[in-house]
Amino acid sequence: MDVAIIDYYANHGKSFLHKAKAFWKIIFAALIIASIIITIEFYLLLGIYIALVTITIWTKLPVTKILIIAAYPAIFALIFALAMWNGSWLKAGVIILKALSAALTMVILIVTTPYPDVFNAIRPIVPKIIAEGLFVTYRSVFILLELTDDLIKGLKVRGGITRRKYISNVKNFSSGIGLLIVRGFDYSEKFYGVMNVRGYGGKISSENTKTGINRNDIIALIIGILIFAISLGAIIEKSFLKFSVYIFICSIIALVISSIYVQFNN
Amino acid sequence: MAGWIITALLLAFSIYRVRNNEIKRKIPLIGIISALMIVCMTIPIIPPIYHINLSVIAGIILGPAVAFISIFIVDLIIAMFGHGGITVVGLNTVVIGTEAFIGFYLFQLFMALISRDSIMWSSGLAAVISLILSTSILIGVIYVSQINPEIVVGIEEEHPTEAENIGDIPNELVKGINIKSFAKTILILLGVGWIIEGIITAFVIKYVSRVRPDLILPERA
Repeated sequence: MDVAIIDYYANHGKSFLHKAKAFWKIIFAALIIASIIITIEFYLLLGIYIALVTITIWTKLPVTKILIIAAYPAIFALIFALAMWNGSWLKAGVIILKALSAALTMVILIVTTPYPDVFNAIRPIVPKIIAEGLFVTYRSVFILLELTDDLIKGLKVRGGITRRKYISNVKNFSSGIGLLIVRGFDYSEKFYGVMNVRGYGGKISSENTKTGINRNDIIALIIGILIFAISLGAIIEKSFLKFSVYIFICSIIALVISSIYVQFNN
Repeated sequence: MAGWIITALLLAFSIYRVRNNEIKRKIPLIGIISALMIVCMTIPIIPPIYHINLSVIAGIILGPAVAFISIFIVDLIIAMFGHGGITVVGLNTVVIGTEAFIGFYLFQLFMALISRDSIMWSSGLAAVISLILSTSILIGVIYVSQINPEIVVGIEEEHPTEAENIGDIPNELVKGINIKSFAKTILILLGVGWIIEGIITAFVIKYVSRVRPDLILPERA
């Protein structure tokens, strides 16, 4: 997980998705996830995945890096596909594509939306302790990442992690995690003290969730609705599945055109 | 979907349990442990299939109710990173939350049964057993989720006793997963990871108990 890189992408991108509001992007992501859940046809799913890759290209962020970040669940999907193996490549492909597409949808959402905006948008539907916990966790991750980095460097420089000394490596590494816990608790005590001084009453995050709609929000919404409508169409009318190969070909064409367009406009 | 429903119910129960325990004080604590779990998940033990997740440590330090809330936050955030599926956040939370829950009570039990000085053995054993049990639950859930409910209902009408036990359901009713090969793959891949995580948990708890003993055995929700 490249937490810091994802955060950088979310805060420094300039695409239409970066400009769209978190609320509408969550709707966009929910529509695509719903379409991935209801789709069981290989070519249609492949079409959705390629459409998502095309959207990733439109974000003008490093596409390969984002695809790698979103590829992690494929490992477990692969294990699951192997366990379900009945000689059908298409069935295995469906399992893997579902995992890849759902992960890519979430990564697209998060590389184009700063976390605080996402947390603010979901705030009305989650309990207060979860909403506040999300904010504090997000803030603490970066502090702990820095501490971990220093800790690993320190362990290496002082011979705490050396080749072929597995037991002592595990012991030193574990003590390092213990140290992070102790420091983390000290930090949380200080954090709580500072917040108390500032009049903290159990609420950190702002409730400023704008849901007004602009051009970028509409584009995101239309894409989401379009993908969901195609998947729903395939469920309602089975004969629609005959066209899934054409949908797949259309998504390939869109991918090629988008790649060329973005390449020449960068 | 069932995973999400169970998680929602357990979350409601956990929040109910911590409501009297100065909730505003718990939030920074939840944030730190959740962040630590996320950071440790970035360090793979057996790349790329196994990383430590500190769930048992979270259970021992925070107590089962607060640890469950913390684990839900972690699962939600890592799903956004593309590290786990958003649709399986519920199921992941139930499985990892089980580790924290069982880990906490086993740790208490071992501390009482063995000796209060054997904190390393108690925490290490609690971690390994919790991980084995949670993986068994995961395999069980996947097995059950593959059963076609319509066929099960049909059986129930004709042969009520056969449907009472999932283990009695004939293999042909299961939609296609070879549960034996799936279980074997999972157990082989994760077995080594459990032992390593057990050792790490033992050393971490030993370290924390020496430096800040108040963190290991305070009053918890």
